Amino acid sequence: MKYKVSHTTSYRYEVGVTFCHNIATIKPKNMLGQTVLSYNLNVTPSPTEISERLDFFGNTVTRFSIQKHHSVLTVTANSIIEKDSSLQPNIYNSPGGQNITLQESLLALQNINSELLDIRQFILESILVAGITPEIKAYAEVSFKPNRSVFEAAHELMQRIYTDFEFNTKVTNVATPIKEVFEKKKGVCQDFAQIAIACVRSVGLPARYVSGYIETLPPPGKEKLVGTDASHAWFSVYIPEFGWVDFDPTNNQIPKNQHIVIAYGRDYYDVPPLKGVIYSTGMNKMKVAVDIRPADE
Amino acid sequence: MPFSSNTLFQNYFSEFKNYDEVLKSNMTINPNWEKLLNNLTQFSNKNLIAKQEEIDWLMDENGVTYNVYNDPKGMNRSWNLNIVPFLIHQKEWEAIEKGIIQRAELLNLVLKDIYGKRELIKNGIVPQEVIFAHRGFLRQCDQIQYKTAKNLLIHSADLARGPDGRMWVVNDRTQAPSGMGYALENRFSLSKTMPNIFQGINVKDLSNFFFHFNKMLIESAPQNKDNPNIVVLTPGPLNETYFEHAYMASFLGYPLVTGNDLVVRSGKLWMKTLKELKQVDVVLRRVDDVFMDPLELREDSYLGVAGLLDVIREQRVAIINPIGSGILENSGLIPFMNAICQYFFNEDLILPQIASWWCGQEKECTYVLDNLKDLVVKRIDRSNRENIFFCEFLDSNELKALRDEILLTPYQFVAQEKISFSTAPDFVNGNLEPRKVVCRTFSIATKDTYTAMPGGLVRVAPERENLFVSNQRGGVSKDFWIITDEFQPNIQKYSWDNTCKISISHINDLPSNMAENLYWSGRYLSRSLNTARYLRMVLNRMNSEQFQNKKTDSENLVFLLKSVTTITSTFPGFVGKGSEEVLKNPLKEIISLITDETRLGSFAQTMFSFNNSYYTLRSLWSRDMWRVFDSIKKLWNKFKENSNYSIPELVKFLDRIVTRLIAFMGLIEESILVNQGLLIYFIGLQAEQAMMNIAKSRSLLVFNFDEAKQYEILESFLLSNESLNIYRYSYRSHLSIENVINLLILDKEYAKSLTYQINRIKKDIDRLPLPTNTMGVSKCQQKIAEASLLIQNLNSDMLLQLDEHEAIRQNLDHVLRDLSNLLHEASIELSDMYFNHSYQQKQLVNQNFPLS
Repeated sequence: MKYKVSHTTSYRYEVGVTFCHNIATIKPKNMLGQTVLSYNLNVTPSPTEISERLDFFGNTVTRFSIQKHHSVLTVTANSIIEKDSSLQPNIYNSPGGQNITLQESLLALQNINSELLDIRQFILESILVAGITPEIKAYAEVSFKPNRSVFEAAHELMQRIYTDFEFNTKVTNVATPIKEVFEKKKGVCQDFAQIAIACVRSVGLPARYVSGYIETLPPPGKEKLVGTDASHAWFSVYIPEFGWVDFDPTNNQIPKNQHIVIAYGRDYYDVPPLKGVIYSTGMNKMKVAVDIRPADE
Repeated sequence: MPFSSNTLFQNYFSEFKNYDEVLKSNMTINPNWEKLLNNLTQFSNKNLIAKQEEIDWLMDENGVTYNVYNDPKGMNRSWNLNIVPFLIHQKEWEAIEKGIIQRAELLNLVLKDIYGKRELIKNGIVPQEVIFAHRGFLRQCDQIQYKTAKNLLIHSADLARGPDGRMWVVNDRTQAPSGMGYALENRFSLSKTMPNIFQGINVKDLSNFFFHFNKMLIESAPQNKDNPNIVVLTPGPLNETYFEHAYMASFLGYPLVTGNDLVVRSGKLWMKTLKELKQVDVVLRRVDDVFMDPLELREDSYLGVAGLLDVIREQRVAIINPIGSGILENSGLIPFMNAICQYFFNEDLILPQIASWWCGQEKECTYVLDNLKDLVVKRIDRSNRENIFFCEFLDSNELKALRDEILLTPYQFVAQEKISFSTAPDFVNGNLEPRKVVCRTFSIATKDTYTAMPGGLVRVAPERENLFVSNQRGGVSKDFWIITDEFQPNIQKYSWDNTCKISISHINDLPSNMAENLYWSGRYLSRSLNTARYLRMVLNRMNSEQFQNKKTDSENLVFLLKSVTTITSTFPGFVGKGSEEVLKNPLKEIISLITDETRLGSFAQTMFSFNNSYYTLRSLWSRDMWRVFDSIKKLWNKFKENSNYSIPELVKFLDRIVTRLIAFMGLIEESILVNQGLLIYFIGLQAEQAMMNIAKSRSLLVFNFDEAKQYEILESFLLSNESLNIYRYSYRSHLSIENVINLLILDKEYAKSLTYQINRIKKDIDRLPLPTNTMGVSKCQQKIAEASLLIQNLNSDMLLQLDEHEAIRQNLDHVLRDLSNLLHEASIELSDMYFNHSYQQKQLVNQNFPLS
């Protein structure tokens, strides 16, 4: 499956900006089952400096600065991605991965080897998944039990969040603490992902945040509109004997070909698509448009 | 024994038994202290009290302050130095020195490893969580390479003497340790006040250490090795140790800057100066890690510079200490330090540490929970007092809450044995009292090793039985002596304002933030003086009216009162709505104009603004300036204690304020060089003088009065300007409006005339550097040239012309209005061109994460 992805973020500044520094975490990952066939980042006005590097988590970050006065900033990432999830290990083909219990998993995680060290950092609290309350832990323990399969529990957790939480774009923002999201049971994909991560970590397992895209299909018989797709986020649980397994609690499914991965982090804080510091006194208006469609062969 | 009978030691041990530095429980004296105690006993008790008062006074006078957040008395609180120093003999110090250098070397390797290969974790020496769960582990700093031989360039440790008689490490400070400057000032003040106390004792000198410190800064520069541009970065005047930031900047001779003075462009770090952007090579920072770069670190920080981390990655600037070194301020490391020392050096730690248990290990956690009541619990990444639990003082509910918290994220907690540290004598209320002490030591990287300061900062527990020593609470400090048997050169040779090099070599290099504060200092100072004098004149008029109740006086007084409102822009006051009521009791309004800090335009508010902009210029001050500044503040505080003011009292107060303000203005002129920014201060001062002059002239000279009334108004004007004598000297005549206009507006030589003032501003503005991108003449220059041209072409006949009703002098009013507008515009252009408001940093998306 080939996709053409275009992700445009634009800022309109009320009084103009004399210059700015920005960081974008926006380039899709090249990995097993997902190949980036082409990628380019367009910034207007054209940046004075632009450079790419890998961050702590292995994601590609682009840093740029614009040193001339401007009133509109547009950042467009265009890529062509080939997805073939059949190349990735499938948990349903791994009896060991499917059956390992919480108790067994916690034991397996205690070994010290460099691969596990990398993974174990995702058990700890992080900037936005901090202050995990006993209530959140209790919510997690409804699914996670010492002698139950971790995969089964995580799958159920995803379903429960899908059912118990209402998708609502007006209640939360990027800085809403998980405690508050948990109390309101409302939020957007990144809130659901972070609640799930908090739950998984509360029982001592590694969970990470996945930032990416999802292809949305138009209603039957309708033409797909440009820009209706969105930035998306979901979570991933590490299951010993198998590896990382992704879960999308917003759509109640295990991601396959419709999900495109951009970056992994501990939570949203590690991988915001675009951030920056501007030198200006006025307000700004942001607009994001994402378009994903099958690429012509 | 001479001391057991000495009154100084009376009741020394009465209610408090502890290990003491000087006196053993059998009342024998530690021989190292004998000379010092002998020297102390040379003073009578009364004399010692006087000496302590003298030191307190000196600290106050010299403005050695320590700000405490959230404390009404917190700003500019005096630093406390006890007259009794703390001492350690060279022989013991040598061992301690070895220990702190070993620790600095070790922490340097730990820092390199944490942000490099992480072998300590891979080899199981340090559990991963101790690093990864610590908020000071900044993933953004991972794998950054440095050109300096060491990563950790300054290491500071808090030491205290444990029950075994050895010095123990209590804490490490590695981000931006404070205290060096206070230590230096302590030594200076003590040797100035009590030279006799040093008699016959060889105390190690500190100046060599600062020589090395400066060398370390210079050698850290990744480029421009011959002449690196070094700055001291401060969070600003509200920070608790701002005094020290200014002191160090001044002592070392480098500009003191805030985040807004710096900017990242084209991959380099720059300082914004009047002339241009100047590349910065080395930053000695007093800003904590997470505030250093709002682009990549804490996003709500305006204390750092956006994009800085990338400049560091490219090795184009050195930050001292490197960003990320806060990971070493980590009590979670303590239980593993000995293993780390074995791992790197194959030897044991020289300095012992407090027994600590990291709760991330099952066995240790169980032990901690079983013995909680007897332990002191901390989070691994928070060492401030609010986050330390002295469990013996917790009730059962609090203990349970703590237990639950530990169980939720055990890896975030460390428990420590509670230790009773040694006491040393402190001079309190005429007696010596044993007080707990903590010694802060400093070491700096010098080539391939570390050099320790011979001494440091000793802090004393505020209460007799207090367990905890902290200067967050503004505690007491001591001079810290390392004594030796060898002769030491004279220790009194440095003082911070004598040895300071000129920090700014040319006005072109003046940081723009400092320039802005100088400009506003000039303006507020002039406004304060003018307002005080004007109010004083009006008060004097009110006073004399009480004696001679003539009608014209009363009319005149109302006119003058109304002018007060206009000149100070404090409407409605005597002019606007409700003014009739206000005029019935004018004194009430005048008092409000003097004392109400919340009222825009009031004398109090102007002084307050002056205070703020002036305080940020700390590094430029001389001692005399501080003393006068302080005396104004004291006068003010004393005045405010009153509530019922009589006119003579108010006049007397204003008299005193005026004298001090003028003394202060004189001191500024002689203490600050033109190239250090005096020019900018002058422009502000003269601009305000000119604007006040215009405001007064418009209020008092535009209206046409009968002769008697005119006379009194003119006299009032001259009095408020302190120009009456000059007038009499120049004209030897009856007061006439024509002569007053000639003197105060048109005279080319008289410093208080508007023509002189405007020409002076023009001359000074023309001397300012033109910013690199400006071609030809700046807009600011154009505006002031226009004003100068306008005033040169005036003559008194034209200005004196009356309108058709013979009520007002319209030409005069219009000219003054135009001049006022031009001065205003020039001031705005000046701000825009030099003070760089367009450089305010701001987040693209406003998000406020709890990064730390």
